[in-house]
Amino acid sequence: MDFSFSPDQQLLKNSARAFLDEHMKPAAVRLLWDDPRGDSDTLWKEMAQLGWLGLSLPEAYGGSALGMVEAAILLDELGRAACPGPYWPTVLAATAIERAGSDAQKKRWLSAVATGDARATIALLDADLDWNPEAMTTRAEKSGSGFTLSGTKQFVPWAHVANVLLVPAKTTDGLTLFLVDPAAAGLTLEPAPVMDLATRLTIVKLDRVAVPADGVLGGPGQAGPLLAELLRRGAVGAAAEMLGAARRCLDMAVEYAKVREQFGQPIGSFQAIRHKCADMLLEVENSHSAVYYAAWALDAKAEDAALAASVAKAYVGDAARKVCGEAIQIHGGIGFTWEYDLHLYFKRAKALEPLYGDGDYHRELIVRAVAG
Amino acid sequence: MDLNYSPEDIEFRDKTRRWLEANVPTQELATLEERKAWHRKLYEAGYVGTLWPREFGGWGASPMQQAIVQDEMARVSAPPPINGLGIGFIGPTIIVHGTDWQKQRYLKKMLTAEEIWCQLYSEPNAGSDLASLRTRAEDQGDHFLVNGQKIWTSSGPISDWGILLARTDPKVAKHKGIACFLLNMRQPGVDVRPLRQITGSSLFSEVFMTNARAEKRDLIGGLTQGWEIAQTTLGWERGANSLGRVTRYAIAFTQLVRAAKELKRGGRPLFDDPVVRAKLGRIYADLEVQRYAGLRVLSALLKSDSPGAASSITKLSYTEFEKRYYELALEILGHRGQLISAREEFEEVDTSSGEPGTWATAFLWSRAGTIYSGSSEIQKNIIGERVLGLPKEVRADRLKA
Repeated sequence: MDFSFSPDQQLLKNSARAFLDEHMKPAAVRLLWDDPRGDSDTLWKEMAQLGWLGLSLPEAYGGSALGMVEAAILLDELGRAACPGPYWPTVLAATAIERAGSDAQKKRWLSAVATGDARATIALLDADLDWNPEAMTTRAEKSGSGFTLSGTKQFVPWAHVANVLLVPAKTTDGLTLFLVDPAAAGLTLEPAPVMDLATRLTIVKLDRVAVPADGVLGGPGQAGPLLAELLRRGAVGAAAEMLGAARRCLDMAVEYAKVREQFGQPIGSFQAIRHKCADMLLEVENSHSAVYYAAWALDAKAEDAALAASVAKAYVGDAARKVCGEAIQIHGGIGFTWEYDLHLYFKRAKALEPLYGDGDYHRELIVRAVAG
Repeated sequence: MDLNYSPEDIEFRDKTRRWLEANVPTQELATLEERKAWHRKLYEAGYVGTLWPREFGGWGASPMQQAIVQDEMARVSAPPPINGLGIGFIGPTIIVHGTDWQKQRYLKKMLTAEEIWCQLYSEPNAGSDLASLRTRAEDQGDHFLVNGQKIWTSSGPISDWGILLARTDPKVAKHKGIACFLLNMRQPGVDVRPLRQITGSSLFSEVFMTNARAEKRDLIGGLTQGWEIAQTTLGWERGANSLGRVTRYAIAFTQLVRAAKELKRGGRPLFDDPVVRAKLGRIYADLEVQRYAGLRVLSALLKSDSPGAASSITKLSYTEFEKRYYELALEILGHRGQLISAREEFEEVDTSSGEPGTWATAFLWSRAGTIYSGSSEIQKNIIGERVLGLPKEVRADRLKA
């Protein structure tokens, strides 16, 4: 029983922290906030060189074949930096291709992801706001040797920069995943004007979009278990990012409470503030336990892995919202300004809260898993 | 990271489970003698004093094995051993700070529950501000004369000995003039009066000391070291119950689900109500996180990383969780949650300390955790100052000192 990071894992964490502290200072985050595309080619290439993009991919495709714990360590740091970009959607999509793809599909995409030459995303949320894949109304009709897809996918992260979209749709065989070219005829991308500009979301409309036969990922009707797994991994990854954002907010609040003086004393000496900080630390530490337990359980294929993923997402979503919100409260007026950096992390955590299943969805999964 | 149990721990768990299944009492233990007999049986099998060094009569096992024992006992609702405070922290205090004579005289009898121990720390006017305690111990040459009142003393009426904090020097700063003694409870100057708690039972007492006698050989450490000793030994027991506690919560959760399936509103089981399901999901997520956090503490203990002030986070976390838990449970159960004797099997629930009862008693007991052993507010002060490094507050007693 060892809950601490191995030396290699600690090294990954330290190097990610050092890199992001240097290259993803709040000013750099803000530049990307102001950028119409919202992500940086230079940064993407650097992430590829650092081995981050291929972290979970097989060595044959230029990856390092590491697990969810390592991915969570990285996402924790990316969340801490509120780093904008399609990192996690791309890695998740690559995981799907790695799990279910044909040799040709893997050859086409995996090395390109690892080298930073391709971005990808998964359209998990359908027309209505239900994370249960069975509820989707997007259809794929047989058409010649391929399919035509029609429907709406909502709030797809980073679809506007992706080279390939993973789109689940219902065929007569059931849930099926498709690799869709974002430039295909009949596909429109409509950016959603959201408050966190580090998490760009897009509405993807599909109007009889043609997908050739080799665009089916895995067999028709076979996507259910894979989608469930992607949702689990996505949830744990999002929880790790929220954890990082929350820890950043806690650190900022504690530093501020040490130096900000009112009534002739640092406000951190007042119990009203100190107890808030203690509560925040409690939530951050519990979130750490939840995230890394779940990440380990996925890697170890533990029997409670699915449960732990839902627990992490449900718990950390609430915890991060609380912690980031209290950080604003501790800062007072300055925390409410655009100039002060706190809102970068506050909004980042908030944007991740509904992604890959919100708290309500995961709490329902928990009840089904443990009580029926 | 590797959260698998080691093969030795798995084997130890299997062995413990088999032993408990064969030996756990089938009838409620009615008398103190029966409880002592059960305690001795547990001790002889290696399930009490698990963590204590072998040279003092313990079993020299790891914190993980100790936690496994507690966990397995919770799983079968085994009656807890007695002398929990003695074995959990008074004995370790003697081991760390006591004299050889004290170790010889007291430790073995504590382990075997031949002598029961209690803690004499809190006073009516010294709760969170424990260092302001007023019980005096005056040096009479060959012994100390003790006068004062203690409160919230668990196991008071059955105790043979107590660990006492008393003021030896009223002239120095309050943290400095305190000594730590071992006090014979079976003497005329000690009067124990049980207090009835909000659960209706009497686990606590008041203890009045009137010209009571503490022997010179029963002083632990120096005359002014009491506060320091009390501070350094509170950490021994952390993590021991981390798994067992969560198992009790999980058993209660199973009961709650049973209740929600049995009880109906508007002709359908409460369990089918999305609002109830959302509450159950929230409880279970929270409960699992307590388990993960417990494993993390155990992992640190196994590496001999002393949790130090961080153990305040653990205590704050589970005690606050426990209140949220039973509040939500009683919201779901309505009047059925407030029954003080069970009519249906799903109404039977142990408290987190392992005492059998109903949802009502578990709910009422949940109010204790955030008060005993340093209230939540005190834990938050410790976390703020010692973990986060926030500045000390300006306090009237510090200005004077």
